[in-house]
Amino acid sequence: MTGDLLQRVVLPVASDEDAEATARAVEPYLNDEIALSVVHVVEKAGGAPDKAGVEQREEYAEAALSLVEDYFAGHPVDVETEILYGTDVVETVVDHAHSFDATAIAFLPREAGVLTRLLTGQTTVSMVTDTDLPVIVLPDPDGNDDE
Amino acid sequence: MSDEELAKDLGPLAALTIGIGTMIGAGIFVLPGPAVERAGSLVGAAFVIGGLVAILTAFAVAELGTAMPKSGGMYYYINHSLGPLFGSIAGWGNWLGLAFASAFYMVGFGAYVSEFLALPTIDLFVITFESAQVWGLLGAALFVTVNYVGAKETGRLQNIIVISLLGILTLFTVVGIWNADLGSLTPIEAEWYNELLPVTAIVFVSYLGFGQIASVGEEIKNPGRNLPLAIIGSVVFVTILYGLLMVVMLAAVEVELVAGNETAAVDAMQVMMEPFGLASVGGAIVLFGALLATASSANASILASSRINFAMGRDRIVTEELNAIHERFSTPYRSIALTGALILGFIAYGDVEMLATAGSVLHLIIFALINAGLIVMREANPPEYQPDFRVPLYPITPIVGAIASIALIRFMSGTVIALSIGFVVGAALWYLLYARKHVTKQGILGQYVQGRADELPDAAVDAVDSVEPDHANPTGVKTAGPDVTGDEFRVMVPLANPRTEEELLTLAGAIAKQRGGTIHAVHIVQVPDQTPLDRGAAQIDRIDAESEKLLARARENAETFGAPLETHTILSHRSFEEIFDAARTFEADQVVMGWGPHAHGRVESRVDELTHNLPCDFLVLKDRGFDPSRILLPTAGGPDSVLGADVVRLLKSEFDSEVTLLHAVGEDETEAEAEAFLEEWAAENGLEDAERVVDDRSVDTSIAAAAEDATLLVIGATERGLLSRLLDEALVMSVLDDVECSVLLAEKQRKRSLRERLTGLTR
Repeated sequence: MTGDLLQRVVLPVASDEDAEATARAVEPYLNDEIALSVVHVVEKAGGAPDKAGVEQREEYAEAALSLVEDYFAGHPVDVETEILYGTDVVETVVDHAHSFDATAIAFLPREAGVLTRLLTGQTTVSMVTDTDLPVIVLPDPDGNDDE
Repeated sequence: MSDEELAKDLGPLAALTIGIGTMIGAGIFVLPGPAVERAGSLVGAAFVIGGLVAILTAFAVAELGTAMPKSGGMYYYINHSLGPLFGSIAGWGNWLGLAFASAFYMVGFGAYVSEFLALPTIDLFVITFESAQVWGLLGAALFVTVNYVGAKETGRLQNIIVISLLGILTLFTVVGIWNADLGSLTPIEAEWYNELLPVTAIVFVSYLGFGQIASVGEEIKNPGRNLPLAIIGSVVFVTILYGLLMVVMLAAVEVELVAGNETAAVDAMQVMMEPFGLASVGGAIVLFGALLATASSANASILASSRINFAMGRDRIVTEELNAIHERFSTPYRSIALTGALILGFIAYGDVEMLATAGSVLHLIIFALINAGLIVMREANPPEYQPDFRVPLYPITPIVGAIASIALIRFMSGTVIALSIGFVVGAALWYLLYARKHVTKQGILGQYVQGRADELPDAAVDAVDSVEPDHANPTGVKTAGPDVTGDEFRVMVPLANPRTEEELLTLAGAIAKQRGGTIHAVHIVQVPDQTPLDRGAAQIDRIDAESEKLLARARENAETFGAPLETHTILSHRSFEEIFDAARTFEADQVVMGWGPHAHGRVESRVDELTHNLPCDFLVLKDRGFDPSRILLPTAGGPDSVLGADVVRLLKSEFDSEVTLLHAVGEDETEAEAEAFLEEWAAENGLEDAERVVDDRSVDTSIAAAAEDATLLVIGATERGLLSRLLDEALVMSVLDDVECSVLLAEKQRKRSLRERLTGLTR
């Protein structure tokens, strides 16, 4: 099984800024045998109006995903992008990873203050704990002094 | 489940809840006081009349919503049907109207909080805040923050709130009926009749909530069924509930208890629960209900206003900057913050009645426009207009709906009417001075009038023309490759027709490969003039599919040559002229295009101007099947024939073609001179191993004769502007039509001379 960890990788991105940073973070580990599935989850309220309109979120998602596409244009890695919808971001990413036959999920943890974590939940922690797939935490391409 | 189903997760009950949750709020808990003060026991009738006016418009919103379940709801329908001038009025009206209404709900909220926690009046010299205002400001700040941070739990909380409210109001009604004495509704004082319609205009603010269902229409499952159900259902339900509650309350307690009392519901419940010895419990329950109701109304309105901002920004009526999504919260934070600031300002400066009236009047203007928009959609009947629900009794319903909405404004105070006229003028100026430069979307009305310019009165057509968008940017380039500068050789191929595509790409691929360059395959999608480009973009999925197929095949074809290929989709009104623009945009070195009858749309007026100023070298394939095995190249010298020779050389090394050079002997030339010229020319152009033919017949005849054995005739456009004449279909050389092989025309890039530039400028 050695070397198989990076065969098919799901790469969730949260925003356009995050998309660019994630692409840079993952780039050094890629080669032409890797298939990347880059996803953005539109968080749904599940039976109540969402915090932003779906059309608005889709525009936002497309902008973020196309940044990644552009970043890897000309790169030999096989990249596909998709917008996902779900009430739970982590669960949605994991479900997608299974249907993609992913060997791992890779993500760039985002710095967040205590208040933000409290208000928006700790996606970083649950991304690591709530999965049954290998999870790769990418190092910040800009070092630790970001923000 | 498909993604689309996942994106739409509001069921019929959830949609109904949004409407009911917004509408049951301040209307029942705040308005009875001021309304009863003026119209006494006729307030029930005022609520019912208001409800009936709302239902007429609710029908129209339901029909438009099923045809276009889009973010932004009522604003979107008006902008789409009546165009951006009315769109600006509707957008600003809907946005400000919701901010006024939210401020009104929050002052009501503050009044109820003050019931148990009154604050001293705060005097800041320039402005004084009553206790209700202070609580209102705090409450508004709280709900704006909640939406700014975007806890998705608030959405679910809304459902619980609505269910609790319905329980509380049911209790209120049952206890009220227990206490009711219909006799206390009479006598009806004469002045109450005069106040009936003016009061209706104020309480109308209670019926704005159905618009919020429309504004989240894109998120509703099966909108064809659920949208009309929720919109009409919620208005009917709330109308009945309001009417019943008012009658019951005024039958159960003294009119004097309610009149002028901003927290009348609590006091009424206390009186009604007195016989059971539970006066304070009853009061507390209703107080709790009032807080929930006003909070949920405000919350839903803040949420809806960000959808309207988004739709306005998408249509460029306001700057898109407003709709930035927060990096972490995923909320449209700027829009929410701005709406929040408006709400706080309105609370600080307005009283309950003024806020309610402002919310009502702005919505009444929108409701009148909605009905007008419905009529336009029905009459213009564009093919994409396929509502699942249709307004009954058309056209009576929308006509009465529009008149009733305007009529209700008439019963407002003179100041309010003057302010609302001022608002309409202001919003129109906003369009004319700001938005007009930015928007590209034209309304159905404008298209309809312009499409019938001959039948309709000139005044109407001129009026429509004079307010149409400037169309500042007629070209929507959807994708530009990551690198359109740089030095490598670029061959641009405009693709129009799948049949000739392969052959053009074969040719372009051969050139690109030989020159070590890239192919830029450009699919130019022609959009009718009447269709704004960004609406074309809205239908991009369909176009994408078509384009994708075309471009995917292009990629396959290009791969066989190993030449890198970039693909682009461009929406344009003038697909032919767009080729020239795109060649400039992509800094193409060479354009390889096909030419057949209408291959690239009708050639519009600018052909001469365009072709006399070629941005790069052009190769035009008049295609009868591309086969480069035996190439015939006639030459009389000149730069265009050099280009022809370049291309032939590339094809020869790629396809190993057999090349014949032809020179027709000129009038002042001997045969020996002609042979010498051809030999020299062949050597200069690296074609010395080609077969050379010198013919003493006329140019046409000699070409026709030599072409019989050839599979491809390559012609350098020997005269300036040959291309333009070819495209004009006023072909100089009839031989191009007569020969049976394919013809490739080559014309060199042409820089305009200084003189030509100057004349072009002074023209």
